Amino acid sequence: MIADRAVRRFRFAPYLEFGKKAIAREATYRFDVFTSIGSFALRMYLLRMVWTALYARNAAPRDLPLHAILTYSAVALLMGLVLDVDQVSSLYTKLHDGSIVSDFLRPINVPLYFFADGTGEVLFHAALVVPSLAIALVLVHIDVPSPGTGAAFALSLVLGYFVGFTINFILNASAFWTLEIHAVQLIVTWLTDLLGGELVPLVLFPVALQHALFALPFAAMFSTPLLIYVGEIPPERYAAALGLQALWLAVLGAVCVVMWRAGSRRIVVQGG
Amino acid sequence: MAIIETVELRKVFRSVVRRPGLSGAFAALFSREFEEKAAVERVTFSVQEGEVVGYLGPNGAGKSTTIKMLTGILVPTSGSLQVAGIVPHERRIENGQNIGVVFGQRSQLYWDLPLRESFELLRAIYDVPADRFRQNLKHFSDILDLERFMGTPVRQLSLGERMRGDFAAALLHDPKIVYLDEPTIGLDVVAKEAIREFIGTMNRERGTTVILTTHDLADVERLTRRIILIDEGTVIYDGLLARLRDEYGTHRTIVATLSENYAEVAVPGTVLESREGNVVRLRYDHHELAAETVVRRVLDAYRITDISLLEPDIDAIVRRIYTEGYSARPARVPS
Repeated sequence: MIADRAVRRFRFAPYLEFGKKAIAREATYRFDVFTSIGSFALRMYLLRMVWTALYARNAAPRDLPLHAILTYSAVALLMGLVLDVDQVSSLYTKLHDGSIVSDFLRPINVPLYFFADGTGEVLFHAALVVPSLAIALVLVHIDVPSPGTGAAFALSLVLGYFVGFTINFILNASAFWTLEIHAVQLIVTWLTDLLGGELVPLVLFPVALQHALFALPFAAMFSTPLLIYVGEIPPERYAAALGLQALWLAVLGAVCVVMWRAGSRRIVVQGG
Repeated sequence: MAIIETVELRKVFRSVVRRPGLSGAFAALFSREFEEKAAVERVTFSVQEGEVVGYLGPNGAGKSTTIKMLTGILVPTSGSLQVAGIVPHERRIENGQNIGVVFGQRSQLYWDLPLRESFELLRAIYDVPADRFRQNLKHFSDILDLERFMGTPVRQLSLGERMRGDFAAALLHDPKIVYLDEPTIGLDVVAKEAIREFIGTMNRERGTTVILTTHDLADVERLTRRIILIDEGTVIYDGLLARLRDEYGTHRTIVATLSENYAEVAVPGTVLESREGNVVRLRYDHHELAAETVVRRVLDAYRITDISLLEPDIDAIVRRIYTEGYSARPARVPS
């Protein structure tokens, strides 16, 4: 918004504090912690059952043997612990009940506040990866990639997280205009689950559909890091795969900026 | 020098006109008609540093819209304003550092965090030096009695506790100006008193400028000398509360309890307002008659056990201005 353009010494401390407080806040919801670990264990068990049964009756597709697809599923579920968190939901809540006004009264950059708060929330959930990984290792064998592949996976995962953040930001910021976002959110969750490769590797889909799906931003969240991990994307295609993720991030990031400008202008013009 | 200055401040809201029925809803998909409504119309006033000003008006008069423009979250349609030397909506972040805001209807504390942690977060946001933070917190907690519930998450606080927390939070960074929007709404007498005490102390000790909007005129009487009355987006009175009382409160009422059962009560120069058993209420114009004269006339004519003198309350005066409009020489109270 216009008002944010003032030249002023930037202070990092408030945002660090927002992140820390978000972690502390999440930790107060203990029930959530147990349910998400419980649901992780259940889904891991079910996926092992499904894939094992399918592979027992059919030949392994292409170069995805059973251990690779189980690795894929385990890593996808672990990633889901972090990436499935809607870390910008407070934006929706605040737009809905009007309390966003309070944030505009403070000497802070408001979108950066949401980023810091959301990242804190996600970092708390990232801590759940450790016990979940232990459970996963009891249920399935997880392949360990080479250091090079591991590094590419990590980079791709970070890009995937940022793409996820922008998608969530766009969804929640649409509440600037429509006060109801749950239906769209449901569709997007379903799209990322199914068409983004969280549940089923996209390489198992028909080739024509694959091309379409790889071009969608949902693939940039889950599919790209996962296919790098299991070796479906070979090292010579890393640059292209990461480049496509970065491109999506740039496009979605630009959409966020435009939406925020227009949305916060609505607030300052109409008063929320 | 004025710390707040507004000149011909105006804010027009544009809203879609909804046509009735299904066909109207369909038509609205393609073409929309807009309707403009001025929430604030030519508001000019200035406030000196260290002043406490009551900004009053009936619901929908434009109070909140003005406050939102002063805090920088609403851009005026036209006119100009300056707060502590800057234009709030152009430099929102800088302005945010200068002001503290309390909305009685909406807490600004962090819902899930204990009060103490909310304060620590605010310390980081406003960059309050550590020793100043400790001093302020100690001081506020003494006046507002915060210590008991410092460790309680905000969502578990009672309204009174929450409001005390909100006040401490709004003043923690030593703002030059605080905007208080209905700060005592819904509070019990004890909490109201604590809050008023706190506002008064901050103003006296730190010279904090206070803009107070409220419907509770006891807040106003207790805290401010100057009030600005606004109605339909326009300032209708800006001046001393006492002057308003003087101009509009031209009458006084004597309440006397008679010790004998008089068939008829009549005192020259007064009007019998009501009589309930032996308690009579007599109204007179205090510009025309001195209290002494009236009391003597009552005592000369009747035997009484009790007598008291009532001033018109500000509530009645303000109500009268809202309905009749303000004029410097109001029509006499019918007598």
